[in-house]
Amino acid sequence: MFRDVTFGQYYPASSFVHSMDARVKLLLTLLFLVGIFFVQSFVVYGFVAVFLLTVIFVSRVPLRSVLRSIKGIIVLLVLTAVINVFFTKGADAAESPLWAWSPWNGFTIEIYVNGLKTAGKIFLRLVLLVMGSSVLTLTTTPVDLTHAVESLLKPLKLIKFPVHEFALIMSLTLSFIPSLIDETDRIIRAQKARGADFDTGGLVKRAKAFVPILIPLLVGGFRRAEELANAMNSRCYEGATKRTCMRVMKLGWRDAVASLLVVAFFAGVFVLYGMRGQWNFITWLYY
Amino acid sequence: MSKTEKLTAPDLQIPQNSAIFAKGLNFTYNAKSNFAKHALTNVDINIDKGEFVAIVGHTGSGKTTFVQHINALIRVQSGYLNVLGQDLSARKPDLKALRKQVGMVFQYPEYQLFADTVLADVCFGLKNFQVDKDKQTQMAKEALELVGLEFDKVKEKSPFDLSGGEKRRVALAGVLAMKPQILVLDEPTAGLDPRGKTEILTLVKRLNKEEGVTVMMVSHDMNEVYENADRVLVFRDGGVAYDMPPRELFRLEDEIASMNLEVPAMAAFCNELERQGFVLSDGCKTVDEVLAAVVALKEARNV
Repeated sequence: MFRDVTFGQYYPASSFVHSMDARVKLLLTLLFLVGIFFVQSFVVYGFVAVFLLTVIFVSRVPLRSVLRSIKGIIVLLVLTAVINVFFTKGADAAESPLWAWSPWNGFTIEIYVNGLKTAGKIFLRLVLLVMGSSVLTLTTTPVDLTHAVESLLKPLKLIKFPVHEFALIMSLTLSFIPSLIDETDRIIRAQKARGADFDTGGLVKRAKAFVPILIPLLVGGFRRAEELANAMNSRCYEGATKRTCMRVMKLGWRDAVASLLVVAFFAGVFVLYGMRGQWNFITWLYY
Repeated sequence: MSKTEKLTAPDLQIPQNSAIFAKGLNFTYNAKSNFAKHALTNVDINIDKGEFVAIVGHTGSGKTTFVQHINALIRVQSGYLNVLGQDLSARKPDLKALRKQVGMVFQYPEYQLFADTVLADVCFGLKNFQVDKDKQTQMAKEALELVGLEFDKVKEKSPFDLSGGEKRRVALAGVLAMKPQILVLDEPTAGLDPRGKTEILTLVKRLNKEEGVTVMMVSHDMNEVYENADRVLVFRDGGVAYDMPPRELFRLEDEIASMNLEVPAMAAFCNELERQGFVLSDGCKTVDEVLAAVVALKEARNV
């Protein structure tokens, strides 16, 4: 029932992208996410898509796995697209609606070409955002990702931010997810064997049917947390006191090459954005 | 699963007294993906009513998959399975009726407790199976007393305030309250102290002998298998490799070792005696029984 939940969906492979430094990957992904918001035409979206597909190809992660990440936001995608189609007015007063329908007086549903365009762009933007960030999680193990976050947040130590503890909380949360999924599965089976019925009845009945799952799950969560705390205490664990890392992260040539390419690409995107409306061909790109 | 593979009851000649009857049962996890994993291959098993069957085998040998079929927690993919006269390969078996008759105790069952009071938790199953309200308390009381807890002492307590052993007994009572005809136990004694183990096993054995409950017990402890089961099924690579009484099975010391299983202490002792020419009856399995038999043998020789 909960088997489909993917989280920390690392796809093991050896590729250029996999062997990059997690910190660099994280920063470049952030640049990608910010950069997407400066794209405003279909043509440039096309460039970004081609760019992203190249990265996916280089990472040797099957495209199917990347596309699977969109499944989670499909409702959001459709909803935003539909809302944009119906609620975006024309680009200017001169634009007449493509289609209009007035079921009663004073209320009209209108669809403009502009609305279709906006919906399409937002759709593309969301899809690219999710795909781009899933390239990061597919090629980086959760452990590396946590290390990267810890390393990147280090400057915050100056203002007494508990960076190490923060990273620890993150990695513990991630590591608990698979075992909680297993446990949920087991509890569901156990309660089903006692005749519990999760599939019939009204909303209230179904919601109530989850109590026998949620309570053991919560109790189990606390139990595990306590056991873990005891295990850490008995090993004299003490936060950030001069701990060393088993795997030291080092920057390599791959990181330099990748950074150069991604930064150059988005520099282009930013320049296009800054100069929109100035030259004819750029205007064309932005039509 | 193809249509031609579909077997039906009349062709199969299910024995009269059968509790669980499986023929050509197959199961594959994630059948349609690249991660497909065969868990059961052509399993044929018949278990009669009133038997005490132990299921042993390595992790991943398919024993848990098979056991979950009996309660329709896993649905039949291909092959035929009949539990207490109900065809589980049918498209829509009556799950409620089935699950009322087949009690399933999972590993660490105390982790499934959830209600405010012990009484409410034990009644959960009864409520789901629409037992009359006034009968519920009585049945819960019987079940709690069966597992050795004092009803008046525990009924209003929160199950989370009990000790580990008591929690497990409450969970067991929650299954036994429904008076199942088949009791499936997945490592019921894991994590218990020796006394707790004996108590649980004695209870299961009593249910089997006195109430005629059919018992299937998955276990990794060969000693408890040896002493309690009438019959042992050894699962290997998704199939039944051996199906025989425990005394016979554990004479096959080499085969047992090759499957990374242990020969129980008393079985090893009796095997050694047999090699030295002292044959005891197959019924002697516990320390006391073997001791008595050895003493009797000695006295017989001295006469």
